[in-house]
Amino acid sequence: MAKKRKKATRASRKTGGRKSVPVGRARAQRVLEVPLAAPDLLPALDILRDPSQSVDARLEALQTIQAASFALLDFDSIRPDYIAALRQAAEDQEPELRQRALGILAREHDGFAQEALLEGLRDPAKALVRPDKALQLLSYDPHAGVYPIARDIIHTSEDESTRREALRVLAGDPASAPVIEDVLTDKSEPSAIRRMSASALHALNPDKLQRWASSAVLDTDEDADLVATGLTALTQFGDAKAIADNKQLRKRMSQLQQQGPAKIKQLARRFVKKYEL
Amino acid sequence: MQAEIQINNSTTPAARYLTWAPSPCRVRITNPAGSPAVQLRVRLGTRTNTGGGSVAFAAQAGGPYASTLTVTVPVNGQSVSFFVRGVFGKPSSGDRDVIIEARARSAPSSGNWRLLGTLPVMVRIRKNANNLTSGERTRLVAAFAQLNDQGLGRFADFREMHVNQSSPEAHGRPAFLPWHRAYLLDLERELQAVDPSVALPYWRFDQPAPSLFTPDYLGVSDALGNVQLSATNPLQFWRTDNVPGIVRRPFFDPGQAPAGLRTEAQTLALGAQYTGFRTLEGNPHGSAHTSFGGFISSIGTAARDPLFFLLHCNVDRLWAKWQLQNNRFDSGVAASYDTNNPGNKTGHNLVDTMWPWNGITTGDRPPFAPGGALASSACVNAPGPQPRVQDCFDYRGSVAAVAQMGFDYDDVG
Repeated sequence: MAKKRKKATRASRKTGGRKSVPVGRARAQRVLEVPLAAPDLLPALDILRDPSQSVDARLEALQTIQAASFALLDFDSIRPDYIAALRQAAEDQEPELRQRALGILAREHDGFAQEALLEGLRDPAKALVRPDKALQLLSYDPHAGVYPIARDIIHTSEDESTRREALRVLAGDPASAPVIEDVLTDKSEPSAIRRMSASALHALNPDKLQRWASSAVLDTDEDADLVATGLTALTQFGDAKAIADNKQLRKRMSQLQQQGPAKIKQLARRFVKKYEL
Repeated sequence: MQAEIQINNSTTPAARYLTWAPSPCRVRITNPAGSPAVQLRVRLGTRTNTGGGSVAFAAQAGGPYASTLTVTVPVNGQSVSFFVRGVFGKPSSGDRDVIIEARARSAPSSGNWRLLGTLPVMVRIRKNANNLTSGERTRLVAAFAQLNDQGLGRFADFREMHVNQSSPEAHGRPAFLPWHRAYLLDLERELQAVDPSVALPYWRFDQPAPSLFTPDYLGVSDALGNVQLSATNPLQFWRTDNVPGIVRRPFFDPGQAPAGLRTEAQTLALGAQYTGFRTLEGNPHGSAHTSFGGFISSIGTAARDPLFFLLHCNVDRLWAKWQLQNNRFDSGVAASYDTNNPGNKTGHNLVDTMWPWNGITTGDRPPFAPGGALASSACVNAPGPQPRVQDCFDYRGSVAAVAQMGFDYDDVG
């Protein structure tokens, strides 16, 4: 398996690793036939498994089978074969097919896929997908043993997307709340990273996030996007009494309604309207 | 003199919402002071805020409907019945943007009509998500965010209703459409408990929807498939299964419609028999799901993405259009349903109650039933707290007014 993964990784690098959405592969405007009975999916399954078929044909076969999984009464009769085909596709040389197959498997909490993704994070030479994608797919099952790796990535990785995905995963881990808070309050961190930290902290400790939101709104040096995030958190989830009692915040809202970027003014007006200040 | 107007025969503000179907209403004189007679001729009409909806009145449910209606109302406080419905093609865009007025002549032969009472109402209609106003979009995403409440809110029940283990209740069998109709209605009523002006919009997946996939609305997917939302969008705090965010990776240009899906015309041409029509479950329904990667492309995770509900709203709209086209509102008509399918498991026969609203967790039902009974409505009584399959057909009360479910679509008239 490791040999195959190395081969796949080389293929991934050759094609540039991360791929954007394959708009250029959009099929012609013809209706995709979704069979009405599981046995009729067997030809699509054969195409999916066959490396000699074109990638487009294999991706279309995958989409057809997955669409049928929403509709067929007897889909379970081919599910084992489908899972086996997905596991095979997860190690294919074609990165797009690999990624889609791993995505489907990860959403099913498939142990094979989880182990392969974790292995790739531990040893990049064995990675089937980029580390940010691996973290995203592992977040489908937050109990997959990924937390220690994600915490390490926060401190060691320089890739913004990978760190953002690590934060997303850690939102399910109460023990990681201090790490997340540190990132949120560090103004040297990129705005997108801090906004993800806000979402993650909101999930783990809503009270703490509300306190941060108040301080961000009051901080005249704070990044506008972070102020907007703080204002949105206060407007949407704030405690009405605490807000009514916060004179500083009320005064600041009066200022923000009059000055600053349009989106901040709009949010401040929404805030004042909601809490009838 | 003063008059009181009741919409949906109720005084509660939550009942002041209309669809294209007739709503039973009442008017009565609450203060007869100054009235020279024992009864008054009361004229019902409206004034509408800019961009607001439009309603029509009738003495009987069957009409005729007009922009005004004059009724004779005793001054002793006794109510007089009338009916109101939204004017097809003129839904509201904001809460209470239509004002119903009751007026009476100042004097028997006077041309001056004195105002006796007013009541603001809304023609609350499910619309094309791509066409919502900025205000409608803002209210929708705020209601979704509030219902989710960082993963701790009532939304968690809806996420748990639509999982692999419960799939046989909702997929692959005839009740696919009735089950999802009840599911959407339950969610919509919960959204309306947050903000009564919200109606669930539909994503017309056979048309481009560039306004839908924007940072202020349902988000823009990055290359990794993470949905990017503006810092002002409350969905940035969306959380399901302990993980923040939404994963949705379109396999098509979001400025265009997905490829390979049956169009609306092709779907409506699947035949006049339910057995043929319900093959839409594969394409366009299943194909619309799998025109993305991410949450929405697998049964077990689809409900984690708010877009899922807009997708299914369009599937329900297609059923509503097909019902209208073929007059299939009566579940007792054989062609309206797959009644005699020997493969029907419990939950898919017309008389069966549907999981999870029936709370049954034994037999061949899932061993859990999240969410309790289906949310009630102040406007209508149907489909009831534990709907049966057959309760989800006559949503507009075409066969029996009591079956009205309290929703309508902007282009199903």
